Amino acid sequence: MARTLPKTDVLIIGGGWTGLTAAYELAHAGQRCVVLERGKKRHTATSFSAPEEHDELKYAHRYSHMMDVKKETLTIRNNRDQQALPMRRLGSFLPGSGLGGAGIHWNGQLWRPLPSDLQMRSHYEERYGKDFIGPDVSVQDWGVTYEELEPHLDFFERICGTAGVAGNLGGEARPGGNVFEGPRSADYPNPPMQQPISNTLFGEAAARMGLNPFPMPSANVTKAYVNPYGAQLHPCTYCGFCERFGCGYYAKADPIICVYDRIKDHENFEIRFDAQVLRIEKSEDGKTATGAVYLDENGEEVFQPADTICMNAYALWNVHLMLVSGLGKPYDPKTRTGVVGRNYAYQTVAGVDAFFDDSVKTDPYMGAGALGVVIDDYNGDNFDHSDLGFVGGGYIACKQYHGRPIGYQPVPEGTPKWGAEWKQAVRENYNHHADLVVHGSSVSTPENYLDLDPTWTDAYGRPLLRMTFDFPENDRKMSDYVMQRAMEVAREMDNVTSVSGTNLAAVDKHYDIVPYQTTHNVGGAVIGTDPETSVVNRYGQMWDHHNVFVFGACLFPQNLGYNPTGPLMGLAYWTLEHMKRDYLPNPGPLMDA
Amino acid sequence: MAKLYSRRAILAQIALGTGVAGAGFPVSHAFAASDDRPWAFFTDDEARWTAAVADVFIPQDEFPSASQAGVVDFIDFQMATAYGAGEGLYLDPPFPAGALAEQGYQLEFTPAQLLRQGIEQARQLGDIATMDAPARADHVEEMSNRDDITGTLIVELWKLTKQGYFADPIYLGNHDYAGWRMVGFPGAHAYYTERVDAHKRSVTPPPRGIAHDRDGSPYPPRAIGGGSD
Repeated sequence: MARTLPKTDVLIIGGGWTGLTAAYELAHAGQRCVVLERGKKRHTATSFSAPEEHDELKYAHRYSHMMDVKKETLTIRNNRDQQALPMRRLGSFLPGSGLGGAGIHWNGQLWRPLPSDLQMRSHYEERYGKDFIGPDVSVQDWGVTYEELEPHLDFFERICGTAGVAGNLGGEARPGGNVFEGPRSADYPNPPMQQPISNTLFGEAAARMGLNPFPMPSANVTKAYVNPYGAQLHPCTYCGFCERFGCGYYAKADPIICVYDRIKDHENFEIRFDAQVLRIEKSEDGKTATGAVYLDENGEEVFQPADTICMNAYALWNVHLMLVSGLGKPYDPKTRTGVVGRNYAYQTVAGVDAFFDDSVKTDPYMGAGALGVVIDDYNGDNFDHSDLGFVGGGYIACKQYHGRPIGYQPVPEGTPKWGAEWKQAVRENYNHHADLVVHGSSVSTPENYLDLDPTWTDAYGRPLLRMTFDFPENDRKMSDYVMQRAMEVAREMDNVTSVSGTNLAAVDKHYDIVPYQTTHNVGGAVIGTDPETSVVNRYGQMWDHHNVFVFGACLFPQNLGYNPTGPLMGLAYWTLEHMKRDYLPNPGPLMDA
Repeated sequence: MAKLYSRRAILAQIALGTGVAGAGFPVSHAFAASDDRPWAFFTDDEARWTAAVADVFIPQDEFPSASQAGVVDFIDFQMATAYGAGEGLYLDPPFPAGALAEQGYQLEFTPAQLLRQGIEQARQLGDIATMDAPARADHVEEMSNRDDITGTLIVELWKLTKQGYFADPIYLGNHDYAGWRMVGFPGAHAYYTERVDAHKRSVTPPPRGIAHDRDGSPYPPRAIGGGSD
């Protein structure tokens, strides 16, 4: 039997961006908060300092900041006719573990959703007709609008000291920014990043073609800056060790420096490390959750009771915890009923390589996680989809994230995979390459979903999560279309001698767990206004258990063409506002089912 | 005093009968610091076989080959430490047949077990020591296409070879920054705020690794100490 601890007001499961932010906001609202973090304590100052942190093998290829698959992993298959097999090694995506979670090793690409992204079904049906979205696509509206999220998106950009150029300030178009974005209440808090030659040539080519380039919005900070919580951030050094690394320069906004340091000494805040939550317990009538059972740092089972529970694990593990705890009705693809695990989606990523002649030296080691020039002309519904046969889109970015040589070996198409010619090509092209990405949306479908695996278990004896996913036909068409547009821009770039494209969602390919794509797993516990098609109501509150609030990208009903941290943090602040204002003074359902 | 053991001599044997320049090893060879220490994981035969395959992947030209840059030392060190023992690898059974490539690694072996058993099987497919360079390249290509442990082994060795050629020298490969010098990567001490948007052809700074002597010594300390460099 688990030892029972004294009850707390709020139990927060997970110590990353959303969990620490929930603790900050709720502790200041007078709630006693206990955060359970499965990983270790670590700190930006002591754990991520250069040059030791600049160890490509240890962090980028041995995944030292990431979750341990020996403890928790999942099984994977492309469709229901296959046997799912364990993801035995990390590859396609890299969830974190430890204080700060994946917010430590993110790139810092900080986007807002387009207004139409949040009303995906109603927007497309209104513009293109009721039958435009096919029956095999289960996209739906989020139930919350851009106007409602805007103050929260803006606030999180301030928490991160975000660098960028506003393209739409209160409805007024601004040169140099994203002309397609929704209206902003304020400009970015910091000026945009300094762009290297490759990104600059991309922007010039795009502008010549009548497209609309702008600097990628970046949580790699460009000036000394103090955020609204009082955290001090410093200017980026363009060191090229961003994604998969922590930033000891205090230049990439992360949850430790931006949030944890500002709440850790508060009387209402407590965090426990090496605290692996095993399950959430429900009350006898099943209408509320009573707390969580976890393994403490000594491996002892402990029950922590709480009035309110916040689920702040990584998207996939929130869904897993619901399934093993019996929270919400699991999704069944045969009957297309149930909600937990429904509408899992990913991201559709294609790459374009452009190679310069010898006159352009790129110095690719000068990089940063959000160092890019972007066009949004083919994202969302920024272009006419009438004759295209798909919904969604993606941004095209020319980026210079890093030139770390184990992972960065661009060679032109047709180069042998190893040997003397390969060696020669690596040497000749390392400094003469532009790196373009098509970062595309991912629609949800009735056949892409998460449930529990019947065969394999994790280190705690629980069934593994099972992922059934392949790229939908819609997204294959979308990705191919946008990649062709990216290749047109690449060919227009000055001094480019050859261009090649790689589409991981090409017609003859299936979703592959091995090559890294993105750590943007979304859905499975989606937000909405209908309990038949969502796990939580539009405030992030579970329909079935009113004292459980859910955070993170598991809420996305489908994936937009942007990186998820901005949208999911906008939702987090939206949920916290309604918890503080409406729920905590009078606990109960915030919407009628 | 004569050394009782020499990694350099062991690996030189793979080149002897083939016309590949066994004398081509530079003076500041990777084995200088650990040359008199027996392999931590490999047998001498396994080390020679691995060197031959790694040098098919990255042969010598103006820049060192894989084995000249310490890739065999790197792999030996990796196999003897956490990665080789299966850190970051979920190995719970069962291991059903019929796995798809999209489902990733599905063998029941740690990397160290994969290398030990894989090399034993691979060596039965041909004697790489007696082949000339083109025959070695063909042999490695054929092995890489096999749908058995040998094919998986070659994929793993190619990954390890690139890591050994380009990882920080604290892991015993990338000796004398061979890989970093080849592409022009300045290493771990990285501050480019003043240069990133200069858009001028600039001279890449000389490489410096994590443990690069801050007093300016040209050689980085080694992960395994001792020896006389």
